[in-house]
Amino acid sequence: MSTRRAWSIAAREFRLGPRSPIFLYAVFLPIAMSFLISAVFGGLLDPEARLGIVDLGQSEVTLAAQELEGIAVDVLDDAESLRDRVETHNLDAGIVLAAEFDDRIRAGEQPDLDFYISGESLASTRIILAVTTTDLIREVAGEEPPVAVSVTPIGDEDFVPIGDRLLPIVVFYAVVIAALFLPAASLLDEREKQTLSAVLVTPTTMREVLVGKGILGVLMGVALGVFSLALNQAFGNRPLEIVLFLLVGSIMMAQLGLILGSLVKDANSLYTAIKGAGVFIALPVIFIIWPTLPQWVPRFAPTYYFLTPVYEISVNGGALADFWLEFGVACLLCLALAPVLLAVGHRAETRLAWAG
Amino acid sequence: MADSPPAIEVTEISYSYGDVLAVDGVSFEVAPGEIFGLLGPNGAGKSTTVKMLTGQIGPDSGSIRVLGMDTVSDTSKYQGRIGVCFEEKNLYTAMSGHENLRFFGRLFGIKDLDTAALLDRVDLGPRGDDRVADYSKGMRQRLMMARALINRPDVLFLDEPTDGLDPVSARTIQGLITQEAERGVAVVLTTHDMHEADTLSDRVAFINQGKILALDAPEALKLQHGQRSVRIRSLGNAGEIEETTIPLEGSGVPDSLQDTIANLEVLTIHTEEATLEDVFVAYAGRGLGA
Repeated sequence: MSTRRAWSIAAREFRLGPRSPIFLYAVFLPIAMSFLISAVFGGLLDPEARLGIVDLGQSEVTLAAQELEGIAVDVLDDAESLRDRVETHNLDAGIVLAAEFDDRIRAGEQPDLDFYISGESLASTRIILAVTTTDLIREVAGEEPPVAVSVTPIGDEDFVPIGDRLLPIVVFYAVVIAALFLPAASLLDEREKQTLSAVLVTPTTMREVLVGKGILGVLMGVALGVFSLALNQAFGNRPLEIVLFLLVGSIMMAQLGLILGSLVKDANSLYTAIKGAGVFIALPVIFIIWPTLPQWVPRFAPTYYFLTPVYEISVNGGALADFWLEFGVACLLCLALAPVLLAVGHRAETRLAWAG
Repeated sequence: MADSPPAIEVTEISYSYGDVLAVDGVSFEVAPGEIFGLLGPNGAGKSTTVKMLTGQIGPDSGSIRVLGMDTVSDTSKYQGRIGVCFEEKNLYTAMSGHENLRFFGRLFGIKDLDTAALLDRVDLGPRGDDRVADYSKGMRQRLMMARALINRPDVLFLDEPTDGLDPVSARTIQGLITQEAERGVAVVLTTHDMHEADTLSDRVAFINQGKILALDAPEALKLQHGQRSVRIRSLGNAGEIEETTIPLEGSGVPDSLQDTIANLEVLTIHTEEATLEDVFVAYAGRGLGA
């Protein structure tokens, strides 16, 4: 087994990738899905509220505002440039804090506060910024709110927004299309066009061909999985653990793809096989989207053992330590698939020689 | 040539596709620098024989040694020293000529392959950067030939290398085959084209129903099966065309020829040689196209 030859095969796939419609489809599908989901359910394209502050003293309001999540604070030097930026919708709103602002409000005075609102800002953004600013000033002044606000969660406390629950779809497509479909289609194409025969009469072995195409699937699966999660800002606090599951999942999918690519007769059979198996391999995704369904069912699908951990770690703050069992099963599946792949690869090689 | 150890030694090989026996106890040797023609109709077993010789399949029985190496146990090792030109134009059409050659060069472990020189050898130099999808059939075949020569092979397997090509492309490829043989390369040529086999091959083997029917130099086969005679067409007394056949066997042939030529108004004189096709029919009872 020569890693140099296997890498040459993988390198050819990567070089030719941009010329292949399937390759481009695999790259752009997760991006398109991310944009579609975020456009429909919010997320990726939701703008942060942008507040500009001109602080003529050293107000605690500025510091407190900068620590807030979900609001982008920009501190400016003078009121004129603040006005200009709000006017051009470079900022949603802006405030000018006069010198000794904090002292004056603590002394019970009511100093003037210029609050500029961009005419193009969303109504919701205006309300958020106005209420937040008022709250911050009250805090600095040491005043109690005029009312006692009682917060009561209503509905399922474990509810995960639909946008987040759709995340596995993006990851599923990224990993399955790239890691499973690309190697399968590439191997089948080489069988159909008999370029594989030309490769196999060089010192290259079928095992090296399979490894080369597997490298393509695994690297593309991991890269697109990572890219999709980054695009959806869903890496959580344990990105390396997520990458580990993406790696194991991509190896598993690449092996399944190469088995398919070795077995199927033609492109139609490949599409039919993937469509037919689609529901089965997509089971974990379906059960994540509808969490009320019995959650033991997707454990029968191999994809469960990497998709569910990726989802739980990225969205629900899980950790690798919570998913050792899933990780072990995923690794065992990879090990079990290896001899199957070698056997069907050898069969494909013989059939190819018979057919040529 | 005769003193060198054979480049290819095939001993009693057989191969079956399920219940169908495709190759049945075939044996032959090919010397370095020899062009060996493997002739036979479709389904005769010649492609299966070549697949076994190139390591694509292993024989069910018998043995094949190429360059002293066993094709089953040393497959990758000896495949590094052979070149194969398939009948099917199995090139990467999305890649250019240069890219195709560079890729296969890497598979042979050649880092700095002079692809331009190879493409020049097959008259494809100016089109080397074009995608193979834009090549004509003749250009693709010439690129296939260049690909077979990437590793300066010691043994070349050529399957119908000039099939359906224009005369210019066919001559280019035939020229390359001759050059390689002169370099000492053993060439196994599989073809339907009897004229090409006759012109290029040092020896030919007729294969039919998985067995070798005859194996010898083309000239020897033709002499064995041709009618050694001369056919003379002449103008008769009444202006009609007459044909006279003079056997070239036995004594007195020169006198007989001289007398005939002296007494007739000769229009044409032809030797009556058998073609390889005639020889094949004599052995197999059917033509190559059957």
